[in-house]
Amino acid sequence: MPFFTAAPEAVPGAVSATDQALVLSLIVLPLIGFGLTALIGRRLGGRAWIIAVAAIVLTWLAAMVLVYQTLFVGAFGEAGLHVLVYEWIPAGAFTVDIAFGVDALTAVMLIVVATVGMLVHIYSIGYMAHDPGRWRFFAYLNLFMFSMLLLVLADNFLLLFVAWELVGLCSYLLVGFWYRRRSAALAAKKAFLVNRVGDVGFTLGIVAIWTTVGTLDFGQVFQLLPEALATGAIEQWHMIGICLLLFAGAMGKSAQFPLHVWLPDAMEGPTPVSALIHAATMVNAGVYLVARSNPLFAQAPEALVVVAAVGIFTAIMAASIAFTQTDIKRVLAYSTLSQLGYMFAALGVGAFIPAIFHLLTHGFFKGLLFLGSGSVIHAVHDEQDMDRMGGLRKRIAITHLTMLVGSLAIAGIPPLAGFFSKDEILAESFKLGFAWVWFIGIVVALMTGFYMFRLMGKTFYGPSHVDPEVEPRIHESPRSMTVPLVVLAVASAVVGLALGFPFENGILHGWLEPVFHGAEETLGHAGGDYQLFGIDGTLLLISTGVSVAGVLLGWRFFGFLSRRPQPEAVERLTQRLRPAYAFSKGKWYFDELNDLLFVRLGGLVARALWWFDVHIIDGTVNGIANLTRSSGGGLRQIQTGHVQNYALGIAAGLLIIALGYLVVVTR
Amino acid sequence: MALPQTVPFIGWAWDDLIFLVLAGLMLGGGLMVVLGRDIIRSGLFMVLSFAALAGIYVLLGAPLVAAAQVLIYIGAISVLILFAIMLTQSKAGPSNLVFHHQSWAGALAAVGLAVIIIVVVIYTDWPGAATGVVASATTLIANLLFTDYVLAFEVVSVLLLAAVIGGVFLAKREDSPDPGARAVDEPTLGRLPAPRDES
Amino acid sequence: MSQSLDAYLILSGLLFAIGTFGFLARRNAIAMLMSIELMLNAVNLSIVAFGAFVPSLAGDGALIALFVMAVAAAEATVGLAIVIAIYRNKRTPLVDEYASMRE
Repeated sequence: MPFFTAAPEAVPGAVSATDQALVLSLIVLPLIGFGLTALIGRRLGGRAWIIAVAAIVLTWLAAMVLVYQTLFVGAFGEAGLHVLVYEWIPAGAFTVDIAFGVDALTAVMLIVVATVGMLVHIYSIGYMAHDPGRWRFFAYLNLFMFSMLLLVLADNFLLLFVAWELVGLCSYLLVGFWYRRRSAALAAKKAFLVNRVGDVGFTLGIVAIWTTVGTLDFGQVFQLLPEALATGAIEQWHMIGICLLLFAGAMGKSAQFPLHVWLPDAMEGPTPVSALIHAATMVNAGVYLVARSNPLFAQAPEALVVVAAVGIFTAIMAASIAFTQTDIKRVLAYSTLSQLGYMFAALGVGAFIPAIFHLLTHGFFKGLLFLGSGSVIHAVHDEQDMDRMGGLRKRIAITHLTMLVGSLAIAGIPPLAGFFSKDEILAESFKLGFAWVWFIGIVVALMTGFYMFRLMGKTFYGPSHVDPEVEPRIHESPRSMTVPLVVLAVASAVVGLALGFPFENGILHGWLEPVFHGAEETLGHAGGDYQLFGIDGTLLLISTGVSVAGVLLGWRFFGFLSRRPQPEAVERLTQRLRPAYAFSKGKWYFDELNDLLFVRLGGLVARALWWFDVHIIDGTVNGIANLTRSSGGGLRQIQTGHVQNYALGIAAGLLIIALGYLVVVTR
Repeated sequence: MALPQTVPFIGWAWDDLIFLVLAGLMLGGGLMVVLGRDIIRSGLFMVLSFAALAGIYVLLGAPLVAAAQVLIYIGAISVLILFAIMLTQSKAGPSNLVFHHQSWAGALAAVGLAVIIIVVVIYTDWPGAATGVVASATTLIANLLFTDYVLAFEVVSVLLLAAVIGGVFLAKREDSPDPGARAVDEPTLGRLPAPRDES
Repeated sequence: MSQSLDAYLILSGLLFAIGTFGFLARRNAIAMLMSIELMLNAVNLSIVAFGAFVPSLAGDGALIALFVMAVAAAEATVGLAIVIAIYRNKRTPLVDEYASMRE
């Protein structure tokens, strides 16, 4: 077969060679970058970034052309562009292709992945400039970009799963980038193992899909499964099961309760990695998976309730932990958990578009915040403890300003990006009848403002707690690091307004409506005008009010502008809420619970099984082996190695045969 | 002087007497080969045994085989073995050095073998056997050798050649000085050779 | 007696038995080779005897004996070369010291 052929179910009119080349270049360019950097990056020394960054910039250009074609021109129609590259597994009834699909959802994902990816690459030029392993770092980053683009472009579940595991591998490699540090190596292992738990569910979900409809192609699955349910070929619980299994995978990758424990530890990796993988792209894969599978989830409202509950619980839990952490990156990690919880809550209530909207804005402002924190860490010479920062506002002004934009954005202060997406999530959950999600979400919004300005206050305002030796050498980061910060800050500031205004009817809604309208119709969510001077306006005011209140609370305790921080007030509050403080500081004791459940209890079970294995199973096997060996050892005595012993044997045999012959003949 | 028709006093045919003497010499020599403690003497007794056998071949009307026996066994193989004995410098030693600890079993096996062969030979009626010796003419052997057995003849020549080459290869010393080998003090790369005295 | 096939065959059998004993009992490798030569001679004797007493085998017996001699010469050459090579390694002609076949 020809190498490039359009999938048969593609829109009428052949897929043009240009579009195919564009889609393929998205995959191939980072792969080439990875290969070249891995092969010759070491020889490039301080310029190891050249190939990798060039590859990603080209990838970004290709992605933007594709996004333009998809979203602004609408060149591929509602069904999107489908490119069949290769029949990967043609095994009888089981056929899986290497096929890529680009629709509006993929295009929106491409915006985040390609843009943040490119900016992180550029940022890393400065951040990793003095690391001897930078060629390895850039090779891994390229590999990650390849995997992540493969993930959003994949047009069937198996290819998606392959990419899913590839990004997991890259996450493992990059979290453990400083593998000599024991904590980094352990964190990498933890991330990998916790993800495996979710992946078991994902794998089973894929198998269940295949045994049900016999295909893994997205288009066919999303058509055939609901049909099968409608005709009664499968039961409702079957559909719920498939959805929950897929969601299990999403929980692992997107670090939702109870599989969230890996993400904070993953902060052991270099900060650009935290920004790219653990804030802006990879952790969104779970959200993407659920959004992509929206036709399935729409048939299983019970599963959606689970999604919403897990999401909103993760949101409030992570926010409460973020209150007390002192490691700047860990605060941001818990903040990421919390925001991902928002997205799942939105998916769960059926507000798919706000979820993707929040994914987009969060990708920008959380990437910004992480890169900013990297700049801070860089400035104070690899110190991550916020108790040893403070007063950095004037010293690193660009970082401060950009991070302030990011903090305001995540807190949901209008007119920054986070305001639009978060408000949409909250408003939709209330209007769709999930008042409990809305209520908890409001509380989380309050908490978000507080912990973000706690972070800002402890880092940038008030008296300096920086190590006196480091103090005089604090400096602003190089241009390669500040430029991405500024770009992301601008994006965080305007992307919400540009895409999300007017409310619930912005450009983004126009783009994504075709992807989700089927699911929304199934759920009965469609319709309803936006009432600025009715329910929607009220909700908007409430959510904005709590966000501002959160920020003000943070300002009151930790200072901002002219206000001094109030450590005594913080201390008093801490004293009054001692148990709650300890609970939050101990991260709800999840690591300890896991230790008890899996390490201790699981260890006991494993040890019992081990005993059985050693004594019963191995005993049997070894018994047989010992029997063989001892009989062999006995027989071995015959083999003396002396020729004449053997010759005697021959003579004796000859005699016996001759005598026997004589006896037989003479009888 | 003509000999009497039969051996005086015993009345045997001369052939029988000669046969008995030769058989005794051959078996006695053979026994001395396997029982003697001095291996050089063993070798010499082996020559005696071979020579007696050559005589027996003459009695059997095969003078060509007898001649070959003398040439090959006595002239070549025995000498070869004697050389090997000299090379390995074996000396006579106590019987535990000469004989294996399993020699009693070997003796038992040998006696058993002899008994069985004798019994079988005596109780077998050999079909087509004449009552007397038929001498094989040398011309007949020569004709057979270059007609029916010519292939075997050629193969044997190849075998002998292979044996010669194999024997040389096996017995050759590994560390025999190669005339093409360089001197021991060969300079290594990157180091100048030591200045030589050009006298 | 000299005109009886049985006598020659018994003689051959006795010589063969003597060779067998030597092969089984002697410790010296060269003595073992000599024993083998005795056994070969015993076989040769029986072949020539058959050739002499069976008219249909006239000539063939002597010829086969000649071939056996040729092969025996080759065997002795290679065998002695092997003995000398082993002797050079092990510094002993005693066969029961060679036990590398054991492992």
